[in-house]
Amino acid sequence: MSSADGATRLVIEGLSRSFGETRALTSATLRVRPGEIHSLAGENGSGKSTLIKILSGVLQPDSGTLTWEGDVTRLGNPSSAQGMGIATVFQETLIAPEMTVRDNIYLGTDRLFRYGRRKGEEVAGARQALSDLGLDGLDLDRPMWTLSLAERQLTTVARAIIRPWRLLILDEATSALDHHQRDRLFDYLRLSRSEGKSVLFTSHRMDEVLGLADRITVLRQGATVATMAGSEASRIGILGHMSGRAGVGDVVTAEPAPRRPGEREQGPSQRPVLRVEELTLRATSKPISMEVGAGQILGLAGLEGQGQVEFVECLSGLRRPAAGHVLALGGNGESRPVRSYRGANRLGIRYVPRDRRHEGLFGPLSVFDNFAVTLWTDLNRLGWLRRQQARKRFDDFAGSSRLVSASPRHPISTLSGGNQQKVLLGRWIAMRPRVLVVNDPLRGVDHNTKEELYGLFRRLAAGGVAIVFLSTEIVELLTLTDQIAVFHEGSLVAMLPTEMSSDTDVVAAMFGDQRAGDGEPGRDGEPGRDGQRGGDGEPGRDGQRGGGADG
Amino acid sequence: MASVLTRRAQPQALAPPAVRQILRRNSYAAVPLALLVVLFIVNAAVQPQFVAQQSWASSMAVLCPTVLTAMAVTLPVLSGNGGIDLSVGPLAGFMTVLIAAVLVPAGITTPELIIPIVIVFGALSGAINGVLVAYVRLPAIIATLGMYLFYEGLGTEVLPQAGGSVPVWLVKLNGSFGPIPAVWVVFAVIALVWLLVTRGSYPRNLLAVGGDERAAYTAGVHVARLRLITYSIGGVLACLAGLMLTGLIQSGDGTVGPPYTISALTAVALGGISLAGGRGGLLGGALGGGVLFLIQELLTDAHVSVYQVSVVDGIILIFALALNGTVEHLRRRAAVSRRG
Repeated sequence: MSSADGATRLVIEGLSRSFGETRALTSATLRVRPGEIHSLAGENGSGKSTLIKILSGVLQPDSGTLTWEGDVTRLGNPSSAQGMGIATVFQETLIAPEMTVRDNIYLGTDRLFRYGRRKGEEVAGARQALSDLGLDGLDLDRPMWTLSLAERQLTTVARAIIRPWRLLILDEATSALDHHQRDRLFDYLRLSRSEGKSVLFTSHRMDEVLGLADRITVLRQGATVATMAGSEASRIGILGHMSGRAGVGDVVTAEPAPRRPGEREQGPSQRPVLRVEELTLRATSKPISMEVGAGQILGLAGLEGQGQVEFVECLSGLRRPAAGHVLALGGNGESRPVRSYRGANRLGIRYVPRDRRHEGLFGPLSVFDNFAVTLWTDLNRLGWLRRQQARKRFDDFAGSSRLVSASPRHPISTLSGGNQQKVLLGRWIAMRPRVLVVNDPLRGVDHNTKEELYGLFRRLAAGGVAIVFLSTEIVELLTLTDQIAVFHEGSLVAMLPTEMSSDTDVVAAMFGDQRAGDGEPGRDGEPGRDGQRGGDGEPGRDGQRGGGADG
Repeated sequence: MASVLTRRAQPQALAPPAVRQILRRNSYAAVPLALLVVLFIVNAAVQPQFVAQQSWASSMAVLCPTVLTAMAVTLPVLSGNGGIDLSVGPLAGFMTVLIAAVLVPAGITTPELIIPIVIVFGALSGAINGVLVAYVRLPAIIATLGMYLFYEGLGTEVLPQAGGSVPVWLVKLNGSFGPIPAVWVVFAVIALVWLLVTRGSYPRNLLAVGGDERAAYTAGVHVARLRLITYSIGGVLACLAGLMLTGLIQSGDGTVGPPYTISALTAVALGGISLAGGRGGLLGGALGGGVLFLIQELLTDAHVSVYQVSVVDGIILIFALALNGTVEHLRRRAAVSRRG
């Protein structure tokens, strides 16, 4: 409110925030000017969401300064941020489903017992906000749960813009909107810019970033790595900064990464064990068809919530796809559909969940019991458990995975995160799976353990197990997998052969960018590449990768 | 789905906007209201003296603590996140002890003194629950169970055997003023105060917090503060129930309270209030209390033994919860199919 210095509305310096041992934000720097639309770009885990939560008062930083219109401030809670003129639309569509549209829009503007304004004012304000966003006819008295997803999302935008804002933060606020609605929203943002207001937004669509932003700040691993003018930014430049390979030319292609010994010669010898037929994850997404061969490691990549998690859940029978099916292929050519989690298990498809604490491990039980819990159905004779057998399998596994534990009798919670993860993996490996579906298994695991687990996965694959490996870390995918399937907005948008792909290619595909090579002379010139891999269904687009072409 | 909407929309189209809004806001109360009417008619049919005027005052007096404790539980339930207040019954029971064995012997007998003391006591004891739930972040069911045991023990500690003395005005509150049962006046006063409170933004904040805590918090609602106040209001209602109960039993008795917790929970479920929070209102608790009372009247008329009544109470509680859950499930499914 006081002494706005004209040049900057918001200055953030050296902001950091940790969650336990995870350092989500290490040193974020950001300057937002009046009358500009500023984009915040970064991969998964780059700290975007944490930064936005700090700016909206939901989280407090551990260190660093936040200067708002000339004054160093602390945003203690969301209402104080809003009081200063910062309105935020969060990634999740946060609504009170039983309440009316009007109540949802004016949520939080009241005191505890006193309304913030008269009903007439609310109705007029809500109508105005909704019409700015292209929802003119919406009945303000409708309960929120009767609205479509897009209408709900726009209502949360309306909730932000009815407040007297000078900085509007949009965190992936367009994900449910169609083209028309998006354009309408962007028109409103541009209009607001001309009134001297500021907008900070994140988007998983590169075209939105380039089309809308005056300036772009890129975060990587919790730190600001670049700020550039939107007019000067190129896709490849932004992607390079996000993936940590700044500079257009020096994109590295196909590192001769340490491959597993006896690199399999792919081809017909790779007997397919899993087939996906016309699988549709969401009503709006394109059907996916592919095969996964025995001994193949297929990586899955995508920004948060782009369908890759749904995909692994479909593979493991936890979720019914909107259409299509998943087939497990037997040795003699027979194929059986995966209909349920139990069914998938019977067919040898084993799923290792992402959240090991809640979905995987039994905290108070011992290391051994956690390992053996899946074995008892196999290893029981008329109700007698064959502990010796189970113990032998455990010892084998503990040896081969270099499990560090004082004693198998100690509670699993005494192990380090990486070792806990080993036990969890071992539990399913001991079941001798044909297909192992793992959901981001190496999150929060230290470097050495990671290396050991890579080895474990490679040995499994060499032994003929097909591995579907979802990861949020691109480096990991490039190190471990044979192929990377990239998801965007519920569809499979690229199938990249790992040897010939760079991290920039993957990031480009993650942002739905089919023309990462834009602005460079010529498109990449390896037409034969896609044809090399037999059997797997390309999603019908070519040239997903770029950037690497002129490296 | 469409059929449900149109069915609901038709009568509303004829009504003026204000009435339409009231109907819409209280649509959850349709089922308990219908139940109440049906049960009333059944009661009147099997038991003609039920509608005879002279028994009304005493019926209402019996009903009153049930309804008030049900309302006391309703508010924490509406605030969501597992909100509940199990301590309402023993708190009401302790009130009878406090009035009959502490306040009256100390010479505090007038309504001008007793009523404010009761209200302040209720607000404070509710605030203890509120702090435990909203700030210490204990699960409400555990925190308020602790308070349940606390008041139960405290009541019998202070007054090991039922007794004490009760001021006359308090007994009269369970009688009648001319043809009108005095309890109606009490209800009317509470309703009036409540309407004044709810003219403001409190219900909107409460339902928002119960509906989606994060939505409310990020929109700027002071969630913890709201919960604290909600439990306090619940405590006040529970203590008012205790006040009425004192007049009803005309003594102090530490053991009389606990059953009211169970009846209150049953009433909340019967009142169409989502136990997940965010859907319902104080009226639902009151209607649920009425429904429960009418069921119990029928059982009494049928000369069902006390033990059998307890069995039936248990069945009703489970049935009401299951019904509530089913309705919720159907609505969710309808919502999903509409969204798709």
